Amino acid sequence: MRINFLNRTRSSDSSRLPLIYGAGSLLVLLILWTLSTSVLGWIDPMTLPSPAEVVARFGNLIVEPFSGSTLAGHVGASLYRWALGVGAAVLLGVPVGILFAWLPGFRAVFNPIFEVLRYIPPFAWVPIAILWFGASTATQAMVVFIAAFPACVINAQLGVQQVDPILVRAARVLGAGQGAMLRRVVVPVAAPAIFTGLRIAISNGWMALVGAELVVGKVGLGFLISQGQNNDSVSTIFVGIIAIGSLGVIIDTLLQRSETVLLPWRKPRAQRDG
Amino acid sequence: MQNQQSTPKLELRNITKWFGPKDTGVCAVDNCSLAVQKGEFICVVGPSGCGKSTLMTVGAGLEQPTEGEILVDGKPAGPPGPQRSVVFQKFALFPSETVAQNIKFGLQMCGVDAKEQERRLVEQLKIMKLEQFRDAYPSELSGGMQQRVAIARSLVMQPEILLMDEPFGALDAQTRTILQEEVQRLHREHHYTVLFITHSVEEAVYLGDRVIVMSRRPGRIKKEISLPRDVVWKRGDIEVAAEHPDFIAARREIWALVREEIIAQ
Repeated sequence: MRINFLNRTRSSDSSRLPLIYGAGSLLVLLILWTLSTSVLGWIDPMTLPSPAEVVARFGNLIVEPFSGSTLAGHVGASLYRWALGVGAAVLLGVPVGILFAWLPGFRAVFNPIFEVLRYIPPFAWVPIAILWFGASTATQAMVVFIAAFPACVINAQLGVQQVDPILVRAARVLGAGQGAMLRRVVVPVAAPAIFTGLRIAISNGWMALVGAELVVGKVGLGFLISQGQNNDSVSTIFVGIIAIGSLGVIIDTLLQRSETVLLPWRKPRAQRDG
Repeated sequence: MQNQQSTPKLELRNITKWFGPKDTGVCAVDNCSLAVQKGEFICVVGPSGCGKSTLMTVGAGLEQPTEGEILVDGKPAGPPGPQRSVVFQKFALFPSETVAQNIKFGLQMCGVDAKEQERRLVEQLKIMKLEQFRDAYPSELSGGMQQRVAIARSLVMQPEILLMDEPFGALDAQTRTILQEEVQRLHREHHYTVLFITHSVEEAVYLGDRVIVMSRRPGRIKKEISLPRDVVWKRGDIEVAAEHPDFIAARREIWALVREEIIAQ
């Protein structure tokens, strides 16, 4: 009993350890930030506002509109554009990646175009996006799409290429056609790599969105930051930056969670050759 | 050759297989012919890399021979399909599907109705002693259990021919022994027609009605040895069978042939 109890505490301790360290380092950062600003006054508030100031500004932005919207409005606008762009990139990019790996002919025709396009930075498309769509949601969504698309394609392609050919053979012997083989064997086996692609696509898209919003638009987190700069409100900028970072972490965590739900078969190999 | 009076269930006729361009590539199999009669258990042994797996892959229709033809019931065999079922060394289970889904896979591909799928699944789970693993994923099973599932997935199709490519090669010795006995029992009870590739001489002697010894690469058929069928010692455990004088004599003869090829390499 006693031994069991000890073992259990030890194992749960070790699984919580990274979390404790992570929280600890954030806390240290927060303490240093507080000390250097409000307590010791080393840093000028116009360079770096104190945590208290940022929190106050955060509360303020939630209730009072700034540059046309409350914080929720800016966040909502950014999330909407981001979802449109990433959604389109996933819906188009994943099938393209799968087909790149599955159909050599398709790849031979379209891969050169893809390779050239993917080396053009997303922001290089901003002027043309403005020309096509004006200062609309479509403009920022397009930049997000361009930033997110390559990761979807490349990882889906890689995932399919890594599927053990013996699984394809086994499916053939059991009478599977191309469609069933893709649907029931190839795509599920490639799914973890596709998920990795989604994670990269999501963060690339998020970063490109904020960049695009700095340049164009009248609402959104990037716009909020640039308005903070125009109004000499350093704390607004910090609220915007922290919101961008936190939302990124939340989205990524949700995606990782959904992976364990959607791919239940990816369990640790508990027993082998027992 | 014996049993030549009837049309073989599966016949490989003058099979040659080159990988890469002919004459400059690698010749894996050189002019091999073999015939498997209905209900017969044929084992092919040979040194590693002798082309025995290639022979099976070609026999299954998964690769085209450079020369020669594959006949099923005397007619040219078409594309691969469930009538020539294959059990692979690496199990080749679909990792995202449960045991039940894996076993039903082929039935679904062939449009068997749901009720019949379930009936045959339950029957097969029972035969392979997998009932309690019905809803497990392959990654949760041991190697031996995974290979049982793979065998069940083949047998559920009621194949006319079962091709097994070193099916126990990736298993530990104890599990292998159990599965060898299981396959022996299945063959005795259901009279499957089996082409079984192995590098284990003991396995071949224990399971085979005939053992075909292949030469080193390029693989040719070196010798064919007929073993006694339906003898008492084959019905028992492999441990007991291995002590029978006939087993020892056959193993010695076959091993001498294989050894020559390995040493000459």
